[in-house]
Amino acid sequence: MSLLEIKNLSIHFVTRYSDVHAVNGVDLTIEEGKTLGLVGETGAGKTTTALGILRLIQKPQGRYESGEIIFKGKDLLKATDDEMRSVRGNEISMIFQDPMTALNPILTVGDQIAEVIHLHGKCSQAEANERAVKMLEMVGIRAERAGEYPHQFSGGMKQRVVIAMALACNPSLLIADEPTTALDVTIQAQVLEMMADLKKGRGTAMLLITHDLGIVAENCDDVAIMYAGEVIEYGTLERIFHNPKHPYTLGLFGSIPSLDKDEERLHPIEGLMPDPAALPAGCKFHDRCAYATDECASCEQELAEMESGHKVRCARVMKGEI
Amino acid sequence: MAKYIIKRILWMIPVMLGVLIIVFTISYLTPGDPVITILGSGYTPEKYAAKAAELNLDKGYFGQLGSYIWGIVTRFDFGKSFYSNLSITGEFARRFPITAALGIFGCIIMVVLGLPLGILSAVKQYSVLDYTLTVIALVLAAMPGFVLAILGLVLFGVRLRWLPITGLDTPKSWILPLATNAMPCVAMIMRQTRTNMLEVIRQDYIRTARSKGLSERTILWKHALKNCLIPIITVTGGMVAMVMAGSIITENIFNIKGMGTYMYAAIMQRDYPIVNGCVLLIAFIVCCVNLIVDICYALIDPRIRARYASSGKKHKKKAHKEVT
Ligand SMILES: Nc1ncnc2c1ncn2[C@@H]1O[C@H](COP(=O)(O)OP(=O)(O)OP(=O)(O)O)[C@@H](O)[C@H]1O
Ligand SMILES: [Mg+2]
Repeated sequence: MSLLEIKNLSIHFVTRYSDVHAVNGVDLTIEEGKTLGLVGETGAGKTTTALGILRLIQKPQGRYESGEIIFKGKDLLKATDDEMRSVRGNEISMIFQDPMTALNPILTVGDQIAEVIHLHGKCSQAEANERAVKMLEMVGIRAERAGEYPHQFSGGMKQRVVIAMALACNPSLLIADEPTTALDVTIQAQVLEMMADLKKGRGTAMLLITHDLGIVAENCDDVAIMYAGEVIEYGTLERIFHNPKHPYTLGLFGSIPSLDKDEERLHPIEGLMPDPAALPAGCKFHDRCAYATDECASCEQELAEMESGHKVRCARVMKGEI
Repeated sequence: MAKYIIKRILWMIPVMLGVLIIVFTISYLTPGDPVITILGSGYTPEKYAAKAAELNLDKGYFGQLGSYIWGIVTRFDFGKSFYSNLSITGEFARRFPITAALGIFGCIIMVVLGLPLGILSAVKQYSVLDYTLTVIALVLAAMPGFVLAILGLVLFGVRLRWLPITGLDTPKSWILPLATNAMPCVAMIMRQTRTNMLEVIRQDYIRTARSKGLSERTILWKHALKNCLIPIITVTGGMVAMVMAGSIITENIFNIKGMGTYMYAAIMQRDYPIVNGCVLLIAFIVCCVNLIVDICYALIDPRIRARYASSGKKHKKKAHKEVT
C-alpha cells in the first residue's frame, strides 16, 4: 500500500464573482520514503494541491469538489477535525513557500518548535524544549539561539527553523512547497542538501513542489507535471527526463532535455496558461500546443498509462502520433 | 528596558515644562484684565494695585511665569481661582479621584467589552452575530456622547426610573455616566479589534500554526491575539484622551463634581489659573498614557523590545546575523 494516494482530487474556489477551478481531477501516489516532484508553472495548482492534502484550503471559498486522499489507508477528506489535527504536524507536515512570513514574529523560535513537539510528542514542556533545541542543532543553528525571535535570523536560517519544526515529530510525509525559492541561490543548495540528509536518515517521504528542474533531477524519485490544475505527465524521474512525451513537458525541457546537461530552468512556452476561472474545453493545453488537432480542442483527455510507471494526458501521444 | 523607562520618565520633564510655558503664555497674552473683571467697575487705584499684587499679576511676564513654576514645583501649588479664592490644588485633590475613577472604569469596560466582542466578530465573520455587532458598533461610534447620555437619561432615568439621573452617590448612579462615556470607545475598540484580527488570521504564520495541528483555540490565544493587540494598544492610548474629553460632557450632563465640571465652569468664567492647571494635568496624563503604551508595545513585541535595548546600550551591539 502506498503512503499517500490522491484520487481524482478537485478543488475549486467559489466566490460570488468567479469559480476558480484550481485543481481538477488530480491523481498522485507517494510511496513510503520516496520523493515525488511536483512541477508546473505559476498558478498550476501546486500549492492548492498541497494545502488540500492537509485540509488547509482557505475557507469558505475553497471547496473539495471530488476526490479521496488516502493516507495510510484512511481517507483524510472523511476524517474529523480532531483526527485531522493529529495528522497535521505529526504525520504530515509542511514547509511553506516563504520562510520570511512563516514564523510568528512574537514567539521565540525554540517555542515554536517545542510547541509542536509538546502537542504531538506527549511529553512534558521541559522535554519538548530540550528536543526543540536538539532539532535546531540538527539544522545547524546553535542551541543558545533557541530563545531568539524570528527577526533575529536571516532568511536561510528561518527556513532551517521551519524545516526543524516540520521534522520535529518525525512525520512520515513532508510537503515542501518551493522550500528554496525565496532563498539566495548560494544557500539553496545547502538547505536542499540538509533536507535530503535529514529525510534519508528518517525515511521520510516527500512531496517536493518546485519550478526548478535541477532540484527535481537531484532530489526526486518520481515526477508529476501539472498544468491548469491537472497532472499531464507522471512517471519516474528517469522516464520523465529521458523520455518525456507530453508536448507541454517537452516544451518545459526545451527541445533536447537531459539529466546531464545544465537544464536548470523551465523554458518559457509561447502563450499563457488558461485562466482557471474559465478553462477551455478539451485538452487544457491545446491552444499552446504545436501538435494540437481539432479533436484536441473538443475531447477531454484522460491521464492514461503509456508504459508501466509512465502516464500521459495526451490523445495524440497515446495514439502514437507524436 | 528599565533604563529605557527611566529615560522616558526623565524626558517628561522638558515636555511638561514646554506645555506649561505655552499654556501660561497663552493665558498671559489673552486680552482682558482679570483684576478689572474681578473687581468690577468702581475700584480705586489702591484697590487695583492690592488685588494685582495678591494675584501675582504685577510682576511682568517672566516674574509671573517664574513664580508659577516655582509654586508648582516646590509646593504643588497651581494658584487660586480668580473668583472663589479657593486653592486649585485642593479642588484637584477633591475632584480628580472622581474623574479618574470614571476614566479608569471606562477604560476597563472599553477593553473588557470591546476586545472580546471584536475577536468574536472576526472569528465568526459574516455571521448574524458579526453583522449585529457591526451595526451596533457603527451606531454607537457615530452617535456623539452627549446624545447617548441624554437618551440614556430620558429612557432609564426619567421614563423607566431605573437609574438615578444625577450625582454618583449610589453604585447604581455610576451606570449611566460610565456607559455613556465608554460606549463609543467600546465600539471603536471593537471595530479595530475585528479588523486587526481578520488581518492577523490571514497571515502565513497562522497557516503555519494550523499546519502544526494546533487547535483553533491555541491558534487564537497564543498566535493571533498578541499580534492583533499591537495596533490596538495605540488606539486604546488615544481613547484615554477621548474618555477624558468625554468626561467634560458626561459630568456636566449628570452633574458630577469632577474635573469635567470644574474645567467647564472655569472656561465659561475665564478663570485662567484653573484652566491652566487642568490643561497641565491633562498633558501629564497623556504623557503617562503614552509611556504606558510604549511599555506595552515592548512587552508584547520582541522587535520593539530589541530596539529599546539597543538604543540603551549601543556599545554592546551584538552582530546578530550569522552567515548561514
Ligand atoms: N484562496 C484563493 N481564492 C481564490 N483563488 C485562489 C485561492 N488560492 C489559489 N487560487 C487560485 O488557484 C490557482 C492555483 O493556485 P496555486 O497557488 O495552487 O498555484 P501554484 O501552482 O502554487 O503557483 P505558484 O507556483 O505561483 O506558487 C490560481 O489561479 C490561484 O489564483
Ligand atoms: Mg505555490
